[in-house]
Amino acid sequence: MLERDVLVVGAGPAGLAASIEAAKAGADVLLVDLNMKPGGQLFKQIHKFFGSSAHRSGTRGFDIGLKLLEEAKEAGVEIWLQSTVVGAFPGNLIAIEKGVDGGAKEVITLKSKKVIIATGASENVVRFKGWTTPGVMGAGAAQTMINVNHVKPGKKIVMVGSGNVGLIVSYQLMQAGCDVVALIEAAPKIGGYAVHAAKIRRAGVPIYTKHTVVEAIPGEDGTVCKVVIAQVDDHFNPIPGTEETIEADTVTIGAGLKPATDMVKLEKCQLTFNGPFGGFIPLHNDKMETSKSGVYVAGDATGVEEANTALEEGKIAGISAVESLGLISPKEAEKRRIEIWDRLEALRMGPFGERRQQEKDNILKEYEEKIGTAVEMD
Amino acid sequence: MTMEFDAVVIGAGAIGTSVAYHLAERGLKTALLEKGDIASGSSSHCDAVGLICDKQPGIDTKMGQYSIDYYEELAKKFGFDFEFERKGCLYVCETEPEFAAAEEYMKKQNADGYPLRMVENKELCEMEPHISKDIYGALYTPPSGCIAVSPYKVCFAFVEEGKKYGLESYTYCDITKINLDPKTNSVESLETNYGTIKTKRIINCAGAWAPEIGKMVGLNIPIEPRKGTNLVSEKCERLCNNKILEYGYMMSKFDGINFKRNVSPLVEEQNIAFNLEYTQANNLLVGGNRLFRGFDTRTEIETMKAICERALRFYPELADINCIRTYSGVRPFVVDHLPIVSDVDSIPGFYICAGHEGDGICFSPFTGKQMAHIVMGEDTDFDISKLDFARFGK
Repeated sequence: MLERDVLVVGAGPAGLAASIEAAKAGADVLLVDLNMKPGGQLFKQIHKFFGSSAHRSGTRGFDIGLKLLEEAKEAGVEIWLQSTVVGAFPGNLIAIEKGVDGGAKEVITLKSKKVIIATGASENVVRFKGWTTPGVMGAGAAQTMINVNHVKPGKKIVMVGSGNVGLIVSYQLMQAGCDVVALIEAAPKIGGYAVHAAKIRRAGVPIYTKHTVVEAIPGEDGTVCKVVIAQVDDHFNPIPGTEETIEADTVTIGAGLKPATDMVKLEKCQLTFNGPFGGFIPLHNDKMETSKSGVYVAGDATGVEEANTALEEGKIAGISAVESLGLISPKEAEKRRIEIWDRLEALRMGPFGERRQQEKDNILKEYEEKIGTAVEMD
Repeated sequence: MTMEFDAVVIGAGAIGTSVAYHLAERGLKTALLEKGDIASGSSSHCDAVGLICDKQPGIDTKMGQYSIDYYEELAKKFGFDFEFERKGCLYVCETEPEFAAAEEYMKKQNADGYPLRMVENKELCEMEPHISKDIYGALYTPPSGCIAVSPYKVCFAFVEEGKKYGLESYTYCDITKINLDPKTNSVESLETNYGTIKTKRIINCAGAWAPEIGKMVGLNIPIEPRKGTNLVSEKCERLCNNKILEYGYMMSKFDGINFKRNVSPLVEEQNIAFNLEYTQANNLLVGGNRLFRGFDTRTEIETMKAICERALRFYPELADINCIRTYSGVRPFVVDHLPIVSDVDSIPGFYICAGHEGDGICFSPFTGKQMAHIVMGEDTDFDISKLDFARFGK
């Protein structure tokens, strides 16, 4: 049985930031990720970030990723890739299916004093006739294909959803040489930032607001060859007779994300439902500790936001974990947490951010009311 | 609301459902009370076979054989399919001393007329092409002495077939109190979330939870929960043609034999006894172990690893098959390894039918039928006085 001070699950911005903080304070940190490379979504973010200079505005996601990896290496974080947590067991043991050379897997039993869950989010789907036809995929998946794997998902793309993911990925698909033949949005207005939408418009992509996909029609080879769209009424129901058929081989769906809470559930942390944050999320306090003592959360797994908030939350989780290990003083930890919460508040501003700030406050309050102090569990 | 029944059976596992079915069949107005759902306890967290060759020679084996044959009769009679299948069983012997001990056991069973036989390495490898080539031999029991069923379907089958005789089942039933007649101390009624239930006969078939019911009438029933774990594989080729168990484990458990298997400390500590079977859905069930962990049925990673380690000794190809699920359940353990199938002298109308440990599925039909005889005041099909509750008072 392997023993570590801190196990961090998920090597995206939250997990990396948490690992770095913990390792810098002298903790023995193991970071596991199921992917072939660490960095989470950072390496597919080829666009420049927004925000203040404190949050690396103007920096591209993959540059942030490279820097974090370097810091993690310097701090001595041990990283296992292609490795998955497969179970939580009595005695606070965690089973990890570890990827070893040659593609084989080995199940390792780990006893970790602290656990930080930074498992990110998964894409929502939109269901329509033919939604399982090859060629229908998440917008995030398409982004991974072009920006990480350098493979075009198709030639003619119908993008569903005009949030920032839909807009940015549409643009990047065009940069990769795909033809975005339509951008479909059920709401009456574009959902994402105007600056991203303008880029798409300038490139001549037809934008269909108050529309939805009603069918993806497969061709002879079984993959998508036509896409039927239709107008929707005020209740988002398709209006019969308004159907239009578009020639396309790919449908990418940017319909938002939901927190990946599988590991949180394995650890039996208490959840709460929060619509603006994307669904069920683990209740946590301002130390990012869950209802289960010694188990922390950070990043999209606590509610879908973006890389900068994930980074900051990751730092808080890392600091709190090493504080409870006695590696840094409570005074020092508290001082640093206050600084970070201030920065988070700055990030949670503007039309989208304010709502999240309000919800975050509600979650912290709900934790105080329902849990108060995290419970020791075996 | 007050209801009245001729008999109330507590516990809807393999034993309780069988008892309830048999009482209803005999014409008693019977209610089956279950604190969870049907087959939600041990009977859905176990393996799926009935054997004679894991029983001690004598009454134990006789009950097993009776039950196995009776299962076949019920499979034909019932409209409800419970995946009855006859299959052979191999008690595999890793080494020569195990083989010799198995042979001794075989001779005793042969003397009683059971057609067990020994198979040597060559024949074993022909019967089981995927088994490790260096296994010394095995004790073979033909399909006459071994069956497979779906244990939870058995429970549902008894309930559904029992309904044809008027059986009523009440799931998610909390029993808060059992009332006895203050003068005669005989069974009078039960208080439940369904209301008061009047009855003169209560049959406690609550398995590992039977002591809880016993306490309600002031009885100390010496049953303890003993945890067992199984692994479920992905759908795959039927690696085995027979039910496979390891003989060495049984030997290491026999009193008075100083035998130690050549196994790792992990396998020893986790008390692993390898067994393997295929299911009708073509998943493999790989087991198993026994540990005292109270009522904690969470699976343990070290147990899983130990089961895998031991299984690979016998079936190396399992290394390439994924485990998709594990489950643990509690077995109702009695110190003398015999169930309690009995009335209770001090409480007229109170019966105990529990404590079958790992034999509940196998003994289910037999037990239900004998319990019905006892409740009806009749002789049992053969002498089962060894199963009397009074044995603990002595």
